[in-house]
Amino acid sequence: MRTIKEARQMLDEKKISSVELTEEYLKKIKANNEKLGAYITVCEEDAIAQAKKADEKIAKGEASSLTGIPMAIKDNICTMGIKTTCGSKMLESYIPPYNATVMEKLNAEGIVTLGKTSMDEFAMGGSSQTCYYNKPKNPFNPTCVPGGSSGGSAVAVSGDMALCSLGSDTGGSIRQPAAFCGITGMKPTYGSVSRFGLVAFGSSLDQIGPFANSAQDCGTILNVISGRDKNDHTSRDIKLDFNALVGEDIKGKKIGIPKEFFGEGIDEEVKASVMAVADFYKSKGAELVEVSMPTLKYAVSAYYLLACAEASSNLSRYDGVKYGYRTDSPLSYDELVKKSRSEGFGDEVKRRILLGTYALSSGYYDAYYKKAMAVRQQFRREQAEIFEKCDVMLTPTAPTVAYGLNQNIDDPVKMYLADICTVTANIVGIPSISVPCGYDKNGMPIGFSISAKQFDDAKAIQFADIYEREFERKYANI
Amino acid sequence: MKFDTVIGLEIHAELSTNAKVFCSCSAEFGGAPNTHICPVCTAQPGALPIINQSAVEFAIRAGLAFGCEINRYSRFDRKNYFYPDNPKAYQISQLDLPLCINGKIELSTGNVVRINRIHLEEDAGKLVHDDYHNQSWADFNRCSVPLIEIVTEPDIKSAEEAAEVVSKIGLYLKYLGVCDAKMQEGSIRADVNISLKPAGSDKLGDRAELKNMNSMRSIIRAIEYEVERQAEILEDGGVVKQETRRFDDAMGTTSPMRTKENANDYRYFPEPDVLAITFTEEDIENAKARIPLLPHERVAKYVNEYKLTDEDARVITLEKYLSDFYDETVAIYPEYKNVANLFLTEIMRRVKDTEAEEIPFSAQDFAKVVEMADKNTVNRNDAKTIIRIMFEEGGDPMEIAKANGFIVTVDTSAISDFIDNLLKERADLVEDYHNGKQNVFGFFMGQATRALTGKATPMAIKQYLEDALKK
Repeated sequence: MRTIKEARQMLDEKKISSVELTEEYLKKIKANNEKLGAYITVCEEDAIAQAKKADEKIAKGEASSLTGIPMAIKDNICTMGIKTTCGSKMLESYIPPYNATVMEKLNAEGIVTLGKTSMDEFAMGGSSQTCYYNKPKNPFNPTCVPGGSSGGSAVAVSGDMALCSLGSDTGGSIRQPAAFCGITGMKPTYGSVSRFGLVAFGSSLDQIGPFANSAQDCGTILNVISGRDKNDHTSRDIKLDFNALVGEDIKGKKIGIPKEFFGEGIDEEVKASVMAVADFYKSKGAELVEVSMPTLKYAVSAYYLLACAEASSNLSRYDGVKYGYRTDSPLSYDELVKKSRSEGFGDEVKRRILLGTYALSSGYYDAYYKKAMAVRQQFRREQAEIFEKCDVMLTPTAPTVAYGLNQNIDDPVKMYLADICTVTANIVGIPSISVPCGYDKNGMPIGFSISAKQFDDAKAIQFADIYEREFERKYANI
Repeated sequence: MKFDTVIGLEIHAELSTNAKVFCSCSAEFGGAPNTHICPVCTAQPGALPIINQSAVEFAIRAGLAFGCEINRYSRFDRKNYFYPDNPKAYQISQLDLPLCINGKIELSTGNVVRINRIHLEEDAGKLVHDDYHNQSWADFNRCSVPLIEIVTEPDIKSAEEAAEVVSKIGLYLKYLGVCDAKMQEGSIRADVNISLKPAGSDKLGDRAELKNMNSMRSIIRAIEYEVERQAEILEDGGVVKQETRRFDDAMGTTSPMRTKENANDYRYFPEPDVLAITFTEEDIENAKARIPLLPHERVAKYVNEYKLTDEDARVITLEKYLSDFYDETVAIYPEYKNVANLFLTEIMRRVKDTEAEEIPFSAQDFAKVVEMADKNTVNRNDAKTIIRIMFEEGGDPMEIAKANGFIVTVDTSAISDFIDNLLKERADLVEDYHNGKQNVFGFFMGQATRALTGKATPMAIKQYLEDALKK
């Protein structure tokens, strides 16, 4: 059983209890977590207690879509009373005094939280290897990265250590690990899911989203966690039914194929696999339309300027004063802040704070931050043009499949460039879902992405679901 | 050499909303340390600001009262700096698109001071230093209490004018009900930018900024000191250093703050967590409709409708609670001038030196005293005594009058007996009176008033005496 849909049926038909299901996952976590590094914290006792409550709810006939479903939560989503480390030494012992809005919603539904998953430190990275704790590995090949930053959440689902999970996506942090680990992952429209309680990286880009083994499961989770939240001023008052279009045919629908996403730097096997997806949609009656995003060449630069600028401000609160890591016996306030931050943050986080601070400094603001904002505006125009002509857009999720654990770590620019396929969705705030579409010669998964215009999330799920129905998904051998 | 003084002010006023500006914690002053806090105002990881609409409306109200334009599209920005009382390490403020721009304040000197902008931002917490244990404690109760910053153009020409601007802004904010303007509690404080230029010159000199002035007296003293200091430098051919200075209240001098505090790069950028604020014409009309009568409008009303003198009207409106009390009293007993007279003499002098900002009895009771005096139920001197007792001991005015034997009963036979007798005895003076010696009347009045205390009112005595002398 790998989907919420199947589990729901078995739970409702009393073929399995939530406690049994939870125990099974806890067993698998015990067996494989050390090897695969999916979790930083496992909530064994709490999970069983939640499962018991869920079973009572099910027995009373009060179950809803996620009642009793075992789930993993990325460790940058605040869970009251449960350590939330963000994969950083800085928050090694931080226990939030409140729940993120998504946790409130999931708890009200009666989910089972199996634990908190490993991730790149403060979600900064594309391989999860900047994690201060047990670094996650790819279940298809543990010598390869699982992608990032939500690597642990992807590994939990791909490695069968959770039925589904939550991640966060600032520049591809859900979609790219989903592609690398051969599962489905979705970044919904910016503003559709509350960010309250998601530890901020790039506030204007961050969105929480699900990992699962099907697009429909992603829609089921999003239906629970989305909606206007009074605690998040940027959350929008638009009620979406993410699975509303599931099953409707796509005859006559137009799929934009932006040529810039199939050019240089994209692996040939990936290209061929995604083009085969295009052919599949064509065979289902959709029309392929070549479109263009000429500004794509500036995407990574603009993204890193915006994300790092916001991050440099967002991460200033970690000063050793209120919570988190504090250096030993500082002699002054200045020393307290400097040493706590120098000792508490890892290299990648420091690199991005420095980059962002520089981009916002007086004298450089116009040259960097302001220009990046101008690029953002240009992207919005280009995307609007595309979605005037097309229902959805088809692209590879990542230029390559998962690479070796020690590859790329010494070349940050190369790492950043690998985000080329995913960052535009964050820059303009549109929904995008990554779905597995094949395996390379070494058996590593390849993913494609379907993006749609803002609040057309249901369309992206509709297209993903149609493909999944006929694609033979492989599961990792653990 | 002669110099012109050039002063600009940045005035911070805490808004008296119930809740903080970016979370729903209480914004009340004081409280045990760290009791008005939540994940948002203590900058827990993942917490996000929300926006308190009342704070926005209060700021708009202030803008409208000072004749500002309201920006139809307004935005928040982050001002980044590390300080232990600033848990997020940034303050949410407004840089390019403040709520209000281009207002003005008219001064009694006739000078008009332009307001550059009014923007909304959040206050920081408070640090408590324990020197004995060499420790500092942070109290975040004040974190995110709403502030408006009112920035004037450098149109102010003297220490007195600067003080008038501050007190006028404080007064208007109180009338608007948006700030209690208590300098001693820090709910209104001012930064003073000051420079000198050769008399008549158009070119502005280099300025010093005096930070966080929190009393009217220190504003005046600090400016006076700075004027002298800068004049000395300029006269010696020196250059005034552009810097931030601190005023030492005890010494009466200013000194430069650490250079580090001068070299801040705040790295402002648009706040991504708070959406832009937009206003329609209707929003602004609605806000205008909620603005109460302002001091100058009350003065006009008192002069034009109540026929008070300009001076009296101004004095009554110097404090909102006093003006409110006067309004309440005349609403009950609309003898505008008589109420004003007792109010100006008996109430004003007793409240002038207290900070309590309240009158210990109701407008109802005060109206009763004025009416008693007007109707000669008590004489005017006794009415004043009643007010004194109401201030000092409290009590119902009629009860006080009775207990002290102030109630005047008009005994007509006593009046006629006494005056008839007096005029008979002093027939000589009566004759003088008829021969044109008018001051004799005063003598008779005095004699009768003294003798008839408690039995007659001066009015009744005067009436009888006039008639009697005509005979």
